[in-house]
Amino acid sequence: MEALDLFDMRANCLRQRIMLCFNGPISRSLIEEIGHALRKYLEDSRISPGGAMDVFAVYVEMTQNIRHYANQMNYSEADGAATIAVSRDDAGRHVVSAGNLVQTEHAQALKQRVDALAALDKTQLKAAYKEQLRRPREGEQASGAGLGLIDIARRSVEPLQATLQTLPDGRSFFALRAVLTNS
Amino acid sequence: MNNLRIEGTVSSPFIHADASLGRLEMGGDSYPENSFELFGPLIDWLETYFREGGGPMHLELKLRYLNTSSVKVVMDIFDLLEEQHHGGRAVSVLWLYDTRNERVAELAEEFKEDCSFPFDIKPQQE
Repeated sequence: MEALDLFDMRANCLRQRIMLCFNGPISRSLIEEIGHALRKYLEDSRISPGGAMDVFAVYVEMTQNIRHYANQMNYSEADGAATIAVSRDDAGRHVVSAGNLVQTEHAQALKQRVDALAALDKTQLKAAYKEQLRRPREGEQASGAGLGLIDIARRSVEPLQATLQTLPDGRSFFALRAVLTNS
Repeated sequence: MNNLRIEGTVSSPFIHADASLGRLEMGGDSYPENSFELFGPLIDWLETYFREGGGPMHLELKLRYLNTSSVKVVMDIFDLLEEQHHGGRAVSVLWLYDTRNERVAELAEEFKEDCSFPFDIKPQQE
């Protein structure tokens, strides 16, 4: 077995300016705990309270979407695992990325949806948000009923980016990346 | 009828509803995974209150961050108020926000756009 090279992991985090990352099964309480650490970090950085709320909100929507999907699909803990990173880009802007295993057909549909949202300006995104808010819930759906992605897009300062890597078992690793303000 | 008192946590707001005063207060962050679980008892309480009498309902909100699941339920609550307002009941909302965080006032403004009853958004006095 390959020896775990923590020094290499650390170097990678420093180089990519990753201040927080997580990989593994996530629970409701873990989302809160990591969120708490993220909030603390944001408080100590120079970002405004509004900017910090955007970063935190995007983190919450992405991770809760992953949890809802894994629950809905009855995935095992391992299959429902999330890969989450909060980093900064060259301009010092916060970047929230999150990925998880998704059935390939769902991943493709999701990517189309993200690409469509990425093409909208802020006014169009607001209209899409209000329309989704007014759409009746499907059954006893407890989630934000499709509002999450639009909310992420509205808080982002760059178009959302979705990528998918198809795996041999009919699933894909779906990753979403949102760039937030640095002020 | 009974009052409703739910204390807040890191991810859920406090909810204090008083039937004799016709008053509901909520404050804090709201990002539970399941917003029905949290707000279900409040919606039931409001529906009972509206069914049992003609008294007024005033909401005083100091809500800060809402995840989209909570936004959806808060919209449901405002829709209930809107219905009562059209039926002639006195309903109103006062949303107090911290001026350091413009996102909270923006969120409140977006809710207000869909409501025709008195809806005030004011800076919170420290």
